[in-house]
Amino acid sequence: MNEKITQKGYSIIAEANMLRWEVGENFHDALMESIYADAQKIADKAVVMLGAEKKFGFDQTLDKIVTSKWLGFPLMFLTLAVVFWITIEGSNVPSSMLAALLVDTFHPALKTFAVNVSLPWWLSGVLIDGAYLAMAWVVAVMLPPMAIFFPLFTLLEDFGYLPRVAFNMDGLYRKVGAHGKQALTMSMGFGCNAAGVISTRIIDSPRERIIAIITNNFSLCNGRWPTQILIATIFIGAAFPAYLAGIISALAVVGIALLGIFFSLVTSWGLSKTILKGEASVFSLELPPYRPPRILQTLYTSLIDRTIFVLWRAVVFALPAGVVIWLVANIHIGDLSLAQHFISWSNPFGLLLGLNGVILLAYIIAVPANEIVIPTILMLTVMTLGIVDVSAGTGVMFELESEMLTKEILVAGGWTTLTGISLMLFSLLHNPCSTTLYTIYKETGSIKWTTVSALLPIAIGFAVCFFVTQIWRLIA
Amino acid sequence: MMMENPFLMLIAGIVFIILVAIIFWPEKGIIPRRSKINKTNVRVLIEDALKHLYDCEYTNLTCTIHSVAGSLHISGNDAANLISKLEAMGLIKSSSDSLLLTPEGRSYALRVIRVHRLWERYLADETSISETEWHTIAEEKEHAISFEQANMLAAQLGNPIIDPHGDPIPSDTLQMPARRGIPLTSLKEGESATIIHIEDEPEEIYEQLVAEGLYPGVQVRMVESTTKRIRFSADSEECVLAPSFALNVTVVPIPKEEEMKEYLTLSKLKQGKEAKVVRISTVIRGQQRRRLMDFGIVPGTKITAELSSLGSDPVAYKIRGALVALRRNHTDHIFIEEV
Repeated sequence: MNEKITQKGYSIIAEANMLRWEVGENFHDALMESIYADAQKIADKAVVMLGAEKKFGFDQTLDKIVTSKWLGFPLMFLTLAVVFWITIEGSNVPSSMLAALLVDTFHPALKTFAVNVSLPWWLSGVLIDGAYLAMAWVVAVMLPPMAIFFPLFTLLEDFGYLPRVAFNMDGLYRKVGAHGKQALTMSMGFGCNAAGVISTRIIDSPRERIIAIITNNFSLCNGRWPTQILIATIFIGAAFPAYLAGIISALAVVGIALLGIFFSLVTSWGLSKTILKGEASVFSLELPPYRPPRILQTLYTSLIDRTIFVLWRAVVFALPAGVVIWLVANIHIGDLSLAQHFISWSNPFGLLLGLNGVILLAYIIAVPANEIVIPTILMLTVMTLGIVDVSAGTGVMFELESEMLTKEILVAGGWTTLTGISLMLFSLLHNPCSTTLYTIYKETGSIKWTTVSALLPIAIGFAVCFFVTQIWRLIA
Repeated sequence: MMMENPFLMLIAGIVFIILVAIIFWPEKGIIPRRSKINKTNVRVLIEDALKHLYDCEYTNLTCTIHSVAGSLHISGNDAANLISKLEAMGLIKSSSDSLLLTPEGRSYALRVIRVHRLWERYLADETSISETEWHTIAEEKEHAISFEQANMLAAQLGNPIIDPHGDPIPSDTLQMPARRGIPLTSLKEGESATIIHIEDEPEEIYEQLVAEGLYPGVQVRMVESTTKRIRFSADSEECVLAPSFALNVTVVPIPKEEEMKEYLTLSKLKQGKEAKVVRISTVIRGQQRRRLMDFGIVPGTKITAELSSLGSDPVAYKIRGALVALRRNHTDHIFIEEV
């Protein structure tokens, strides 16, 4: 009896299976269609829209302006330029105040305190000259621009303008296999790559999101602008008459930033054609209605979610790096410190790229944050040259008020105009800082994409620096 | 400071980059080539031969040693060896002039076919690999994936019943529906039909059919059918094919009373004009199709072309009160009716 029922059951299932081909696959669509039709019917009966037309009229006018042939692009560049200008101008004063407080006041005070409680020299070196100073530097350079840039950006987003930028830029990004919203995550990257990587969450297509994450590093971040400006001023601007120097060095920095955009587009194209060819890709872009930005809420969320969050990660990474920086400069094998051993060993390779051993070491040990690259370079240069009177002690990072003095030290370290240019290129094209790499790992959950994000820019950087250097030497 | 000769360094650098390219270049490089499956593997040959026999059975053709050799690109000798091996395994039996599958052989073939078609479906729905590569990749995967893994994949995909070329996917109990449809060449002038299947082999013909915009779901109307050429409209675009190419397209005629209407695509809708969605073509599949439907783009929805971006692609449409930007490669496949 039971067997008979089981038999019957199987034959019904088999019959049902055959019928699936008769029904076809369209029933999914039909189901969806009927759900929408029912919802529409109910809404028509029950919902009344008041004042929607008028609001839509305003949105329409504004949309016509921001996407118009003549005003669309200029408006976009103007908005970005204003945001950057406010960020740079606005962060100058608080940055130098923070530096005066954390680096120039607290640091000596802590040192004095260490002497008073007779802390062993090496302990005060590791903790105060290493860990504390690295952290202080990162906070002073990073905090003010981020606290200005992120809220401004979030306000634009809240108002509804940024989706329109993505809409306008999508044509270009489509051609390189990416999403229009990548224009936004790239702009965010100009503030901070780690924040830029987090902001790729707005891209909901898997392939385009990974492209945006990997290429975000090509946006010259806030930690690299000061390096670019300093090197452009002392090595490129100085080669021109005084009245041209300012504009030429500014152009050089803008040129590097544009080169970064160029590389991000080319790399996006390459990635979408090769290793990301198979990843799923879905396009959608909603243009939400404009609305007055909620200023207080925006300030709060962008400070907590973006600024403090990123700063905290940077500090966590800067502390151990500070320890490492101090240790390599102060542990000696034979007559030379670890740093000097590495520098003389890697110098020939550095020269091939137009760089030198000091720069290579600085980029390795200052991996937590681009902000501390220049202080580390100065510290290492002074140490290898044996100059004693400019810094606060061996293995202590420092910066100089005077650009002329900085240049003198660097030139004494064997730097030429070529070194300057190569450093500017390498500062753009090298692995992301460890804060960003950690963020990439957190966002993608994949060792593979984190590795690609680290190695791809550095490979490009080596290639570009190498060819520029050899061609320069051939011509010069 | 000692400097190496920059000219020599430049040459060394270029040579290095060329070397890296030779090793890693996608598909053609040394490493990508290495990782491909060895085609002469015995298991691969057995499974391909069984698939070929099943194809013959399904399409009512006679299968011989020659046709096996031709389909597997092996010599007649190797084919004969292979056949005797299959016979010894009890998978096939040969009668006077043709080769036939035993029930065991048929179920083995269907398992392989199920894996192949499921994998094609997966590639089509869940990845952005182009249609001309689906078949080649599935050809390798069918030998590498177990039947149980394939069943798990099927569950993930929502137990699909046809592959992206319109072939039925054997069910997990290995059932198959009867063959339907007629070749496009049998359609008479003035008749309308819906494409249900595009043959994906040989690749050159398939590529041409894809380039013409033909895929399952497209509605065609025959304009001219001679022994030299077949002229027809496919979703309102005119196509001309050689009869040998058109043979690879299977259609189901549309009855006269449901006369086919020609619809515009959404990409042709002028700015500021309103229209009603008729259907989304089947080329938009998987996640992208679901996304469009989530926005409320379903038959019957009213849609207005609202705003064009700087390069005029994408275009923003007003759909159920929301403004949504769509790219042209999608709006080309959404059919509308002006209101």
